[in-house]
Amino acid sequence: MLSQTCQGCGGSNIVEDDLYCQPQRVCVDCGSVVSEGVLASEPVVGPAVAKKPCLNLIKGEMFSLTMCRILMVHREIEQLSQTYYNKAYQHESFLKVSLQKKEVLAGCCVLVSCRLLNWPITMATILCLINADPTLVGEVYQEMISALKIEAPIVLITDVIETHIQDSLHLPEEFAENSKDLTRCAVALVELAADSWIVTGRKPVPIIMAAVYLAWQSLRPTKQRLKTSLEKFCQIAKVNKYRPAVKRIAEIKEALCKLGKEIPWVREAVTPDNVVQHVEDILQHRYALLRRAMRTHQDLVEQTPNSSSVKHGPHERNDVELNWGKRVLFAPPCVIRAKRRRVEQPELQDVTGDEEISDSEIDSYIRTPQEARDFALTQKMFEKS
Amino acid sequence: MCESPWSPCCTAHFLMDSSNEEALDIIVTNVVATFRTRCHLNLRTIALEGTNVIYKPEVGKVLMKLRKPKITASIWSSGKIICTGATSEDEAKLGARRLARCLQKLGFKVRFSAFRVVNVLAVCSMPFAVHLIDFTKNNRPIASYEPELHPAATYRIKTLKATIQVFSTGSVTVTGPNVQNVATAVEQVYPLLFECQKPLCK
Repeated sequence: MLSQTCQGCGGSNIVEDDLYCQPQRVCVDCGSVVSEGVLASEPVVGPAVAKKPCLNLIKGEMFSLTMCRILMVHREIEQLSQTYYNKAYQHESFLKVSLQKKEVLAGCCVLVSCRLLNWPITMATILCLINADPTLVGEVYQEMISALKIEAPIVLITDVIETHIQDSLHLPEEFAENSKDLTRCAVALVELAADSWIVTGRKPVPIIMAAVYLAWQSLRPTKQRLKTSLEKFCQIAKVNKYRPAVKRIAEIKEALCKLGKEIPWVREAVTPDNVVQHVEDILQHRYALLRRAMRTHQDLVEQTPNSSSVKHGPHERNDVELNWGKRVLFAPPCVIRAKRRRVEQPELQDVTGDEEISDSEIDSYIRTPQEARDFALTQKMFEKS
Repeated sequence: MCESPWSPCCTAHFLMDSSNEEALDIIVTNVVATFRTRCHLNLRTIALEGTNVIYKPEVGKVLMKLRKPKITASIWSSGKIICTGATSEDEAKLGARRLARCLQKLGFKVRFSAFRVVNVLAVCSMPFAVHLIDFTKNNRPIASYEPELHPAATYRIKTLKATIQVFSTGSVTVTGPNVQNVATAVEQVYPLLFECQKPLCK
């Protein structure tokens, strides 16, 4: 409601007297301003105020979309990865990081989206796509998970094998195999490896590589295939070779030999050199052979004199562990080759932290003046030469 | 072996449950402690007149190794010293005091102050193997497991400021601010691991 009397003089002689564009009501008698209007009716929206979409954010989203297209994933995964990238990009942990880290972040968003929507993929695939340092990718991935509070399910190796065989393996015709048979055989080998403590704690890709290589050899164990080394196989299939795969092949062959020895119709000794020919049989009758092998091993252990029954002292723990490794058919390498823990020094049993420290003890840590002079001289001579 | 729980022979036991008489050995493998000498230290003098020292001028510190207790100390010219390698908190204190005495004898006006144990690392072995995937599923988001990055599952207890790394063989490493927290952390995590055990013999 507009006031009709002036607050200064009490007069009612008030007129409308605008000051430029601002409407004002002024008292004629004393000249005081009774009321005034707003300067402008709408807020001004100029180019300085409007926010342009961030170019790097758009580039990152396009990058994650490109990766999704290369991996040929579902539309939902593409959208989810872009959403996550958007969220992560604007989070304080990632807003001011380098562009390289933002690229890695895009890769991690694709990885986590695939995992959440049950599309089997390993981190190694993403590493290949973005060509970044594995440590950096790991770091960014962990940070992103904790920042966005995502709980991604763990991918099982057996799920990944099929996609790896279909997408990454490109065998020429003379070496080709039916991908279904290859997958079936490789999955069975990985399951056997998992039961024999070969998979746990190891990176999945070298295990997959070893399993696929052995599966390929065993499906048609011709002389040519048996002579093909892992390196040659990787060259033929156009995949990168992983050095640990060689060790995995040896370990899987060892596990296969333990089962191969139990096949009743095989007369000759089963060694890592000839075990590949028996792989199909071993995998077909895996469980029966495993039971037989465990029984044989148990009989063997019971026959040898029991050396772990009575032993005291600090080495007891190590001996118990060593025997654990010998008692079972399959044990992890850290148990079979257990490290000896260093023996605790008995003199430090009653340490309280507040004992007397004798001078003679401390003197052993200090050079005599002559020794110090000799040392300084030797250093000078060393520096000069 | 040792009678009292936190005996200086640096192992701790606890009963796994009332029915099981076996105790679990928690072996402290490293204790990191810091203290201050409240005076400036001339690193060149220490490098010249001390034995068992390594001078690193590029970093600005001197490494001094004590034989008894077996401790390595990083000495900075500001007077801050970090001791690592002790196997108990008391041993760390003894080593730190021995080092301070050594510096005193070298001629510095050392006053042993602000001794604080910063980190304790312990290892423990469960009598069973652990199924890490089940363990992670049951304890999300406190537990995390990325087999492609690290072979162990990590379990962080915020209240104790302790981090536990669980390996599938049943080995467990614990880091925490002191021995008490480390032992409590093992006590807390044991039932969770017991739930997710997998038979050792296959």
